[in-house]
Amino acid sequence: MDHEGTREQLELAAVEPGGLERLMAGDTPNAQAVAAHLAGCVSCTDELVRLQRAATLIRGSVRQLPPADLKERTLATIRAEGVRRPLAVAVPAAAGAGATVTTEPVNGVPVMASPSTAATVDPDRRTRRTPPWLGWAGTIAAAVVLSVVTTTAVVNNRVDNQLAAQNAEILALESVTTDTMGVAAEPDAEHVALRSVSGPAVTGELVYSPSSTDLVVTATGLTEPPAGQEYRCWIEAGGKREPVGKMFFSTHLAYWTGPVAALAGLQDGARFGVSLVSVSGGSVQKDAVLVGEL
Amino acid sequence: MNGREGATDDVAVVRRMAAGSEAALETLYDRYASAIFAAVYRLTSDRGTAEEVVQETFLALWNRAETFDPAAGSLAAWLHAIARNRTIDRLRAAGRRPSLVALSSAAAPDEDATQALERLVSDGSIVGGARPVAGPEQAFESAGVQEAIGTALASMPEDERTVILLAYQEELSQSEIAARLGWPLGTVKTRTRRALHRLRKGLGAEFGPGAELDVVPVPIGEDR
Repeated sequence: MDHEGTREQLELAAVEPGGLERLMAGDTPNAQAVAAHLAGCVSCTDELVRLQRAATLIRGSVRQLPPADLKERTLATIRAEGVRRPLAVAVPAAAGAGATVTTEPVNGVPVMASPSTAATVDPDRRTRRTPPWLGWAGTIAAAVVLSVVTTTAVVNNRVDNQLAAQNAEILALESVTTDTMGVAAEPDAEHVALRSVSGPAVTGELVYSPSSTDLVVTATGLTEPPAGQEYRCWIEAGGKREPVGKMFFSTHLAYWTGPVAALAGLQDGARFGVSLVSVSGGSVQKDAVLVGEL
Repeated sequence: MNGREGATDDVAVVRRMAAGSEAALETLYDRYASAIFAAVYRLTSDRGTAEEVVQETFLALWNRAETFDPAAGSLAAWLHAIARNRTIDRLRAAGRRPSLVALSSAAAPDEDATQALERLVSDGSIVGGARPVAGPEQAFESAGVQEAIGTALASMPEDERTVILLAYQEELSQSEIAARLGWPLGTVKTRTRRALHRLRKGLGAEFGPGAELDVVPVPIGEDR
C-alpha cells in the first residue's frame, strides 16, 4: 500500500467509531497492509499521530454541539406545552409606543390579607421538616382558584388586555405552586415560617432545598411597594447580606422563586429576609419586613 | 457585544419574550442553547439527555420569565442553574452517580495515565466526581477548539457537514451513512475526507503548526 492509500485508510478510520483502533489491530487484510506500510514509513506514522490528536479534539467538540433541529423541536415544545403569553396585539394602548411591555404582576392592586393570615404572628414561629407546605400549597392553590374566578368574571366584562393581564397572573401563581411542590418534594427540603417585623398582617413562608438550591418564598399581607421601591429578598451570612431576588405581586400573594447558589453552603446563623429598598439603589441594608432563620 | 452590553440586552429581550415574542425566545436560544447543551453533555455524556434538558430549560425560561431578576444574577447563570438542576434530577432518577475510578484501572496495557485520561475524556466518560480546575491555557484551548470546530463546520458545504455530523454525533459508519442518505459509499468517503481536511485546517489555523494538527496535503478528486 502506498502513501496515498495509507492516508486515506487512516482518515476514513479516524471518523469511524473506534475506527483507528480497529485499523491498528491489524486483523483484516486491509489493516495488515496499512500496518506494514506504517512500519517502514516515518511520515505516515507521524501523520497517524497528528490524525489521532486531531480526531480526538474534533470528536469531542462535535459531540458537544446540539443537533440542528433541536431549535425547532424546542420551539415546538414550547408552543405545545408553554404558558399562553399575552400577545403583542393585546398590549394596552396606554403602554405607549416604544414602551417595554412586560407581564409583571399587575400594578396598583392592593393586596388583601386573608382572614387566616390576619392573626397575630408568633415571632418565634419557625418550623422545619413538618408538613406545613401542604396547607401552604393549599393557600396558593386557593389563590389560583380565586384568580380563576376573577378571570371568569373579567372574561365577561373586560377587554382583551385586562384578560391578558389576569391570565399572566394566573400563570404566575401556577408557576409558584408548581415550584413549591417541586422544592418541597426534595428530600432535604427545609420549611421556614418568616416572622413579620412590620406587623401581624404580614406573613411569609419559605421552602428551599440546599441540594437543588431552589427556593420559593411567598408572603401575604404585603402591599405593593411605592413607585421607585421594591421588596428585595436577601440572604445574610457572616454579617453580610447578598440580594436574592425581588418579590412579585399577584392579587393575593407576593412571591419569588428561583435558584440561589448560596443555599448550597449555608453557614450557621444564616438568615433570609425581605426589605423594602430603592429600585435604583440596589442595597439591601434596610430593615427587614420579613425575616427567618435558615 | 461585551458582557455588560449582552447582560443589559438580555433583560430587554427577556421582557419582549415575556410579552409573547417568539422571536425574542429564538434570540435567547441562539445565544445560550449551545453552551447549555455542551455543559449538560459534559455532565452526562448523553446527547439525548442534553437535548431534553435544553428543551426543558427554555420551556422554563418561557414559563417563568417574570421571575428572572437581573439584579440577582445574569441570564446565563440563571439558565445554567436551571439546566444543572434538571440534569441532576435526571441523574438521580436514573440512579446514576459520578463514578470515581483510578486512572490506572481504566488504562489500557500500553497507556499511561495521561493517555488514558485523554481517551476517557474523548469518549465522554465521567472519570471523576469533581471537575479539575482548568488552567488558563487549558481553558483557552478548550474554548478555542470549540470555536474553531464550530467555524469550520459552519463554513463547509452542507453535504460535507452532514456526513461529519452523522459520523461523530450519531456514530454511524460510512456504510451506515451511505445507507441513511442513499449516497454511493465512495461519495460518502470522499465527502468525509474533505470534511475532515477542513476541520483539521481550521484547527491548524487556530493553534498553528505547534499544535501538530496540520494536515498533510493529499489529492482529493471529485465525488466518486
